[in-house]
This record gives sequence, C-alpha cells and structure tokens, in this order.
Amino acid sequence: MKLFAHVNAYSVDETIKLLAKYEGTAKLNAGGTDLLGVLKNRILPNYPEVIINIKSIPGLNTIEEDEEGINIGTLTTLADIIASPVIEKNYSLLKEAAGTVASPQIRNIATIGGNLCQDTRCWYYRYPDEVGGMIKCFRKGGKTCPAVSGENQYHAIMGAKKCFAVCPSDTAIALIALGATLTIAGAEGTRTLPVEEFYTPLGSVLNSGEMIAAIYIPKPSSVAGQRFLKFTLRKPIDFAIVSVASIITHDQGVCFDARIVLGAVAPTPVRALKAEEFLKGKELSEEIAAEAAGLAMAEAKPLSKNAYKLEIAKTLVKRLVMGLT
Amino acid sequence: MTLTLEKSSHSTLTLTVNGEKHSFMLGEGPHEVASSHTLAHTLRERLGLTGTKISCDNGACGCCTVLINGKAVQSCMLLTVECEEKEITTIEGLGDPVTNVIDPLQQSFIDHTAFQCGFCTPGIIMSAKALLNENPSPTRDEVKEALSGNFCRCISHYHVLDAVMAAAKKGGNQ
Ligand SMILES: Cc1cc2nc3c(=O)[nH]c(=O)nc-3n(C[C@@H](O)[C@@H](O)[C@H](O)COP(=O)(O)OP(=O)(O)OC[C@H]3O[C@@H](n4cnc5c(N)ncnc54)[C@H](O)[C@@H]3O)c2cc1C
Ligand code: SF4
Ligand code: FES
Ligand code: FES
Repeated sequence: MKLFAHVNAYSVDETIKLLAKYEGTAKLNAGGTDLLGVLKNRILPNYPEVIINIKSIPGLNTIEEDEEGINIGTLTTLADIIASPVIEKNYSLLKEAAGTVASPQIRNIATIGGNLCQDTRCWYYRYPDEVGGMIKCFRKGGKTCPAVSGENQYHAIMGAKKCFAVCPSDTAIALIALGATLTIAGAEGTRTLPVEEFYTPLGSVLNSGEMIAAIYIPKPSSVAGQRFLKFTLRKPIDFAIVSVASIITHDQGVCFDARIVLGAVAPTPVRALKAEEFLKGKELSEEIAAEAAGLAMAEAKPLSKNAYKLEIAKTLVKRLVMGLT
Repeated sequence: MTLTLEKSSHSTLTLTVNGEKHSFMLGEGPHEVASSHTLAHTLRERLGLTGTKISCDNGACGCCTVLINGKAVQSCMLLTVECEEKEITTIEGLGDPVTNVIDPLQQSFIDHTAFQCGFCTPGIIMSAKALLNENPSPTRDEVKEALSGNFCRCISHYHVLDAVMAAAKKGGNQ
C-alpha cells in the first residue's frame, strides 16, 4: 500500500476536528475490511494522505437497550451483533443480515458503521490501478460507464441513470426494514437521519467532514415477522446478487403491515412501497405473494446481462411474503 | 514522504506476537514498519514468521488468518500500527515453546493428511484453533461455519473436517 500518515482518534469530537483539518484528504478507518482493499488497489482518483483510525475511540462499540429500542455504536463488530442476545430476541433481521456478510474472520473486525459506508463493488470501479490503470468511470468523475455495454451481470436492474453500481451493504436493507436512524456527527453538531434517506445514487449524504456515531433501531412489534434472504453463488464471502429484508405483520393470515426492502438491485437500497401497500389487508397466499413480487419489480429495466436478477428478486420477495426460505 | 510521516500521531510501535514483544520505529526503512503495512506483511517481512501466508491480500481467502486476542482475523486486512496492545498468535505460536511439541490440532492435521500443498493450512488451523478455544466440542456444521472463510485450492476440506473433529474429540485443545 502507498504510504499515508496514520492518526489515532480518541473521541468523536477529535475525529470531526481532524476531518476538518485535513479537508477531504483524510479517510476514516474502522475495521478496514473495505478501506484496505480500496487503498491497496488504488482505485480512487485521490489517494488519501491521512488515515484516521477510529477504533481507538472508546465507547462506540456498545449495544444499549431501553424500552423503546436499541442504540448500536458505530464500531460494534458484525460478530458482536450476531452474538448479542438482545438483537437475537427483538431484531433478528439484523442478526440474519450480519450473519451473511463475508466470513467469520471479517465479521470479527468489520463494523456496522463501516458496513453502511462501504464503497461499491462494481468491478470496473474496483479495477486495480497496477493492472493497466484505474478506470475513471462516471462514478469517479469520468464521462462514461463501461458497465452499460460491458460485463453488467451484477449491476443494477432498476433506479439507475448514469452509474449502475449497486449498494453492497447487507445490513443497510435490514436496518431500513427495521426503520433505523443514524446519529451523524459533524462540525455543526449531530443530526439524525433515517437509514432509508442515507443513500444516494453515487454514495451517501454523508459529507467528508462527518462520521456516523451510532445507529438507533426502534423496537418492532413483537408479533411482526422479520425475515432476511440473500441470493449468492457461494454461501460465504460472496456479496448479494439480490438480497431482501422484510417485516410483515399479519393476523391469522391477513397482512396488516409490511415493509419490504431490496438490496443489490439498484444504486441504493429500494423500498418496495407498491408491494407493501398492496399487501395491506390481503389474505396471504401464493397468488398474492406473486402479485406483490411483480409490483416490487414493476419498474425494473435490466441491462444486457442481468435480466436473471429480476427473476431472483421476484422469487425472493415471494418467499419473504410466504414465509419460506 | 517525511511530511506524511510527520502528520502521524506516533513514531514507535510495540507488537506482542506469540507472547514476545517486538518494538519498531515507524518508517520506511528495512527494519521499520510503515503506517501502510499490513500485519501479514509485518509478520512475514519484519519478524520472519512466514507461516502466515498471503494469497489474495484482499480478505477473501483466509490464508493469512491469525488470532488477535483469541479471535480469528485476516492479517492482510489489518494495519500493523493498529495492532498495538493486542495479543497476536500465529501458527508459529501454537505448540509448547519449551518441549517444542506441536499443538494436538496440528498433529491431528498430520494424522489425517489434512492438506496437499499446505498453503492454506496455517490459516485453516488458526481458524479452527479460534473455534476450539470458544467451543471445545463443536458439531461438524459448526466447524464448517468457522472455516467458511478459508479456501483450499487442493480440496482438502473433507480431511480438514475430520482432523478438526478428531482433535476436538480428543479434547486436544490445550
Ligand atoms: C471478501 C469480502 C467479502 C465481503 N462480503 C460482504 C457481504 O457479503 N456483505 C456486505 O455487506 N459486505 C461485505 N464485505 C464488505 C465489508 O468490508 C463490510 O461488510 C464491512 O462491514 C465494512 O466494515 P469495516 O469496519 O471493515 O469498514 P472500513 O473498511 O473501516 O470502512 C469502510 C468505509 O466506510 C467509512 N467509514 C467507516 N466507519 C465510518 C463511520 N463511522 N462514519 C463514516 N464513515 C465510516 C470508511 O472511511 C471507509 O470508506 C466484504 C468484504 C470482503 C473483503
Ligand atoms: S456502474 Fe458506476 S461504478 Fe461501475 S463502471 Fe459504471 S459508473 Fe463506474
Ligand atoms: S491473504 Fe488475507 S485473506 Fe487472502
Ligand atoms: S492444501 Fe493446497 S490450498 Fe489447501
């Protein structure tokens, strides 16, 4: 890896000051499982001059429960989330999502905040600089997107305009289904933001002077069914080809509330609002599930090589609604 | 480059590897550790602990697995400068340092011929070690899950499972 200066931060305030001091030339390092790959392959147009280690900040790796919900510090590892009895009991969706990420070794160091902020996995975007030069595609300020007419089998099938890379985070869709909010610290103090509003087609609303400090999840109704499904070629290590998360509440088979979120189908996580609306008041059956799946994907426009993702997405939504695995 | 280093908040570094302390100056010299070095690189190139292998160098194969405070992690995805004050255990740290007898888990790999080329083996043994530390009598599925981040190109997986299960049965996790 190319050299950078390395600074340990000991508080959120100090981190914000350091980010301001280095004016966009610094990057935060949490678990580093995403960042180190980005740095090793030099895929960014501007290599950071300073790496700020935030693992040295005490108190950001806790899971605190009160009557209304839980607050998860940004440095909480995915392994700690999976092992947490509180999360298993009331927020099992997040446990399931975290459990599908990468491998046990990565989950031991990967943080939840880093999972939400990880960079896209588009293989053109990630193309290593040392092998013929990094690719300056649209997402990096270039003019074109080589994926449109190239190898786009893992790219977006909906909601994309100029960049077709998908948001790779598995925990993001679980958190959106759970209605979670982020606590974001910045030079002007802290703000809160629903995870649902965090992502933009080219990344997130986080500016270079901010950091996520914590994630708050309101306690879901105890009768709500929480489910997460992820389609991959291999079980470990692989990113989602399509992933789905849902919270569906029904009474004797009649649905009265549904939240369904899809991952890896678009540049941002997607809420299937039409399908959610459609399901309310319906008696759940295979036909209804199929219709909901169709509505969830109504706006899909696959690229040359990824129409198969549409079928996978529909199948996963159907399985969610039917409570199948 | 000096400018870059001046911004860093530290200039020396002490690592605890297999119970021994090693101090380094932070820098780019032949005996120094740079801020951008990974733990895998430092173990191999500065401490000569070449049992830890580097294959993908991207967190995807498990060959570089070591233990940090008893947990399996991939040393190619950790900055060395962030590993201070942690107990690092590599494959060289298994076994008895006084008698030089290898760990029962290692012996079980030999007894079951649980490798062919052996490149993935140190990483697999470290992942298995972390599992047995936490769960001395795992089920076969728990072993599979614990080793799911370790790839073997030679398809030794079946023998590996047998070796880990046998070691666990013998209580071979001391
Ligand atoms: C082989 C492999 C397989 C993987 N598989 C999956 C998978 O299946 N699903 C999945 O979701 N992910 C996967 N990942 C991505 C994995 O890196 C993330 O899941 C992990 O959670 C990132 O966390 P981290 O703490 O290591 O992030 P880091 O690498 O430390 O950070 C990632 C990015 O977020 C920024 N950042 C970190 N914390 C904050 C914060 N608090 N505020 C603001 N910015 C911050 C960093 O600056 C950096 O840009 C995989 C990675 C690898 C290497
Ligand atoms: S999909 Fe986005 S990230 Fe990938 S090549 Fe196109 S513009 Fe770049
Ligand atoms: S070399 Fe570290 S995971 Fe492959
Ligand atoms: S024994 Fe050759 S890679 Fe596993």
